[in-house]
Amino acid sequence: MPYRLAEQLEWNLGDPDDPGTLFSHARSLALDEREEFPAALCAVLDQFGLYEFYIPTAHGGRLADYEQLVQLVRTVARRDLTVAIAHGKTYLGAVCVWVDGSAEQRRRLGAAIASRLPVCLALTESAHGSDLLAGDVVAEPAADEAAGHLVSGEKWLINNATRGSLLSVLCRTDPAGGPRGHSVLLVDKRDLPAGTYRHLDKVRTHGIRGADISGIAFDRAPVPAGAVVGEVGHGLETVLKSLQLTRTMCAALSLGAADHALALGLDFAAQRRLYGRSLIDLPQARRTLAESAADVLAGEALALVAARTVQTAPAELSVVAAVTKYLVPTRTEAVITALTGLLGARAFLKDVHAGGRFQKVDRDHRIVGLFDGNTLVNLNSLISQFSTLVRAHRRGTGDVAGAAAAFRLTAPLPPVALERLSLLARHGSGVPAALPGCLALLRDAAARNPAVEPALRAAERLPAVMDEVHAEMAGLLDARTEVPPAAFETARRFTLCFAAVACVGLWTHSHLDAEAGATGPLWRDALWLRAALARLLTALGLPDAADPEALDGVLDAARALHAERRLVSLLPLALRPATPVQDGPDRPGVRAHAHAAGGAS
Amino acid sequence: MTGGQEARTAARVAELNAAFGDPGDPVNPVGHDRLLEADEAGELSAAGEKLLDAFGLNAEFVPTALGGRLERVDSLARVLREVFRRDVALGLGYGVTSFMAAVNVWTGGDERQRTRLAEILLGGGRVSVAYHELAHGNDFLRNEFEARVQPDGSFLLHGAKQVVNNAGRADAWLLFSRTDPAPGPRSHSVLMVERAEVAPERLTVLPRYGTVGVRGCLLSGLDFDRAPVPGRALVGELGHGADLALRSFQLTRSALPGMALGAADTALRTVVSFARGRRLYQRTVDAIPQARATLGDAFLDLLISDCLCLAGTRSVHLLPDEASVYASAVKYLVPALLQGAMHDLSIVLGARFYLRQGEFGIFQKHLRDLPVLSLGHAGAAACQATIIPQLPRLARRSWFRGEAAPGALFDPRGDLPETPFGRLALTGDRDGLSASLVAAADTAPDGSPQEAAVRALARQLTGELRLIQQESLALPPQDRTALASPAAFALADRYAVLLAGAAVLGVWRRAGDRGDDPFLADPAWAAAALHRLVRRLGRRPADLPAGCVGRVQEELLRRHAERRSFDLYDTALAG
Amino acid sequence: MIDTSTGSTPQPAFDPAPRQPTAESLARWLVQHVAAYTRLSADAIDRTAPLTGYGLDSVAALSLCGDIEDEFDLAVEPTVAWDHPTVEALVAYLLDALGPRPETA
Repeated sequence: MPYRLAEQLEWNLGDPDDPGTLFSHARSLALDEREEFPAALCAVLDQFGLYEFYIPTAHGGRLADYEQLVQLVRTVARRDLTVAIAHGKTYLGAVCVWVDGSAEQRRRLGAAIASRLPVCLALTESAHGSDLLAGDVVAEPAADEAAGHLVSGEKWLINNATRGSLLSVLCRTDPAGGPRGHSVLLVDKRDLPAGTYRHLDKVRTHGIRGADISGIAFDRAPVPAGAVVGEVGHGLETVLKSLQLTRTMCAALSLGAADHALALGLDFAAQRRLYGRSLIDLPQARRTLAESAADVLAGEALALVAARTVQTAPAELSVVAAVTKYLVPTRTEAVITALTGLLGARAFLKDVHAGGRFQKVDRDHRIVGLFDGNTLVNLNSLISQFSTLVRAHRRGTGDVAGAAAAFRLTAPLPPVALERLSLLARHGSGVPAALPGCLALLRDAAARNPAVEPALRAAERLPAVMDEVHAEMAGLLDARTEVPPAAFETARRFTLCFAAVACVGLWTHSHLDAEAGATGPLWRDALWLRAALARLLTALGLPDAADPEALDGVLDAARALHAERRLVSLLPLALRPATPVQDGPDRPGVRAHAHAAGGAS
Repeated sequence: MTGGQEARTAARVAELNAAFGDPGDPVNPVGHDRLLEADEAGELSAAGEKLLDAFGLNAEFVPTALGGRLERVDSLARVLREVFRRDVALGLGYGVTSFMAAVNVWTGGDERQRTRLAEILLGGGRVSVAYHELAHGNDFLRNEFEARVQPDGSFLLHGAKQVVNNAGRADAWLLFSRTDPAPGPRSHSVLMVERAEVAPERLTVLPRYGTVGVRGCLLSGLDFDRAPVPGRALVGELGHGADLALRSFQLTRSALPGMALGAADTALRTVVSFARGRRLYQRTVDAIPQARATLGDAFLDLLISDCLCLAGTRSVHLLPDEASVYASAVKYLVPALLQGAMHDLSIVLGARFYLRQGEFGIFQKHLRDLPVLSLGHAGAAACQATIIPQLPRLARRSWFRGEAAPGALFDPRGDLPETPFGRLALTGDRDGLSASLVAAADTAPDGSPQEAAVRALARQLTGELRLIQQESLALPPQDRTALASPAAFALADRYAVLLAGAAVLGVWRRAGDRGDDPFLADPAWAAAALHRLVRRLGRRPADLPAGCVGRVQEELLRRHAERRSFDLYDTALAG
Repeated sequence: MIDTSTGSTPQPAFDPAPRQPTAESLARWLVQHVAAYTRLSADAIDRTAPLTGYGLDSVAALSLCGDIEDEFDLAVEPTVAWDHPTVEALVAYLLDALGPRPETA
């Protein structure tokens, strides 16, 4: 299973609560306080070989399964989001080449990453933010055209701009600009003459304080002709397709943060005594935790479906990625906010509860909503697809088989086919289209097991909501330049519907296998599905969608998993090996004393 | 001394504003750049403290009868808003802590204690209040810090108090102490202890806490080791500490959120500046409808908050029997509204919100600082827990039958009688604020489409009150305790939203009567504000008539351009 | 045609494109769509100016491919409006593409 390797990584990193572990919470907190780049922790990940999962198998790496990559990144993010971001940025930097690069570029980049060189993606500029086409960094043809381009201008707020050796840089290649006026250039700093580039200072940030968020200024930096990724002028297309992949991966960052925050909340509620009881026995606190757990599981369900869609229905990723990148970080922020209320002063004080980890998770996670297109960019991307989605809804089109393969966790994933990525899911998405089929399966399940009936009743409300939301979308088709606020609200409602269908799909296609596993209590009687649907339908404003019984059940199951040192997850992920891993040459649990050198990456 | 209150308050606001100067000026020692530096260094701005010394901020906390300038709670919030506008840490660390401590003495202290405390404060000294013990949080009746009663009536202080602002530098502390080892509501008392009265070897000041926000505040703790203090330290009656604390909360809970509004104002101002200057997709951000709507909504959140703050603080003077539930509603809802607005604004600010430096760096500072408001005894759950047990009684005795609050409750500039410290009640069985909502649903003007919209929304809120009444009457007894169900907490939330709606209606109607503020008298903002509140209740009201939202956005941009405050006072700001 | 059957607000009424499109009819059809999306009058659309100049951003322009597909039963790349960024260029492209009708879309 794709998550087994993540489990191995978790065990390999060692017990984070033990200050003797190299990658311990104590170390992460100390690095954050000092705003120091987590070089030694990145080195631990290198030692594990995580970078190999940033390189597709075809180019010499081990990336063949995006669900597995999500779980790996989530594992690191759970421990320290700063490290996940600092290390994972190499994947972000490389993805344009995997999507559109030449065979030679792929081979060379694969080799560079394999030699542990950091790579980064340089899109944004100080004055233009998410408006990629307004960029002022130019790549002019060199005097001798065969010699390539000269790059000039500043990229700012770039993750790893200073530490990265190679950069995928979006440059203007047509002075007139426009959607065909930009190109991605793979710039290798090692080949640039001195004086043709300089780094801009590290920027002091709210969270991920240790990360290298900086900038780079080019001054007629000569890059060879072979540096253009894809066709000249096709940079925007390359970037938008690449962002579909990275937006899907962003969910892993949110899931890791949510895992961490939820664990802190569960621990706190169990330890804390108020009014003569455990906090967890106060109904309001219980509810907050239960809702948080349900939201985390719903986010996980969506992220799993999205990650698998990369391979099962790549042509539809434009929809799935935008939904996931909007919804998972946003709902995770809400979970963290709710848990902040629960922790009270302990969310605010740095040294009192769990070393102040909660406040770090909160600050760190706020970056995820900003990455690779913020909330508004992703909703806007959906708004611009309203006409396609409305048409697809009317006709019932979408890759239903692809969606079903994404829902069935035991189904092997088809090989990655990035050439099938499309800027627009022209027939909509198979996820919503799969709803009637999923409902039929759910009806069958309810016929066999009456305990599934509440889930069925909730799910049966979805077709009407979907119709209503698509009707709203149909009423907003002319909203392409002056997008009214109502369109954002409708897009938000679409993402909630989409997530609800993804949950129904995942449960109906995977429950038989999952019920036998360690997370069986969550799957049996469609427990998590009930709770997830209750939360999503409530967020959609449906009356009487609450399901306190299911929330209680989910909380009990979550607490049981947590107590067994398992992740609160739909998947059976043990956070500790059944028998402790022996330190030794064969299976090194990564201990601080074993890495006195640490090493810079 | 009632005549001329408005002139006196306005003059102090103006004086403070002028003293703080242009926030954007990089050489201003209390400008944003310097305050960000102080925050990074974990220091309270020395220049800021000096400025407030010179202004004599402490006098704001001392009643006029004792030589200070405290006439009205709403004015106190309005003056302190100027400090919070610039720096929450300064507002809290310099001042409000002293106020929170002092209220106990103004409310329950004897003549000697009051005179002495006034002397300390007017002399520029600080006073701390120590309710908190980390192990017990809001459950302060389980606090363990002891003041053991000695046979001669004196006390032995023993134990620790954590997370006390200015613990190490205060001249006196108000200590919430266990005076009876038995459990129960008569087991605690409040003591006012001067530093000079404690033998130094009997006291350890605990190490400072690191915090996410208000990093300049000097939060530490006090650890007493059987320290003797004289019997005259007792404030109020022995064993009556809990009621004294709860009565004092009525003042602090209603006043603090109104102060913090200043921080949200700066955050909104920062984002409007960004939106007007930033070009994205070939236009400025403020021309993007979604961004414009978010800015307008944040302005509405500030106006709604200020309406509720106004009703809450003025009720202390005008409806002291009812102020308890309003104070908790203010303290529950306003921080939630402000933090929600900040969150939405952070999305408009985009990546800039994440930076601790540069022109917009002050935004994330306020984002980190503001949550300090909801900590400890004044957290959301604690405030809801104060409201919940009062609901069944209000439902039975007051709603739909009580008399509406007087119009003066909603008058931002109207004079008020003295603060009736002695008359603060723990609970009430009247609710004039809700009654004014019911009245408005029947009697508010509905001539224009916008007025009709206000009226319709008022009716919708009244319908909601009816539902809240039914559910409150059905609350099982267990729901009136800490074991209250989530449904009971939700009920308190809906009730607070309703009170905010009542306050909006009240302010709008009063402004119409007075005719001195054309914007507040305009139904456009009231309709938009009520619409927002009705949606917050999970309802989907009819679309607003044309012009409401535009009017609010236009007013926001005007105030931004003219540097005026985004609250009920439209105050001219420095810079 | 854009489907209006489920719309809750009035939709711009589009003339159906003639089955035998001419350069002029195609241009009119396109101008109508662009005008509706950008909330400009049809007269304001210069057939030789880049569509992005009217505020139709690059992502929004992608959705034009769905309209074309619906109207002409012709599958085009989502980037059709990027590669043919004016009304005139799109007309030329469509005329060419529609000339020998593909067997299936």
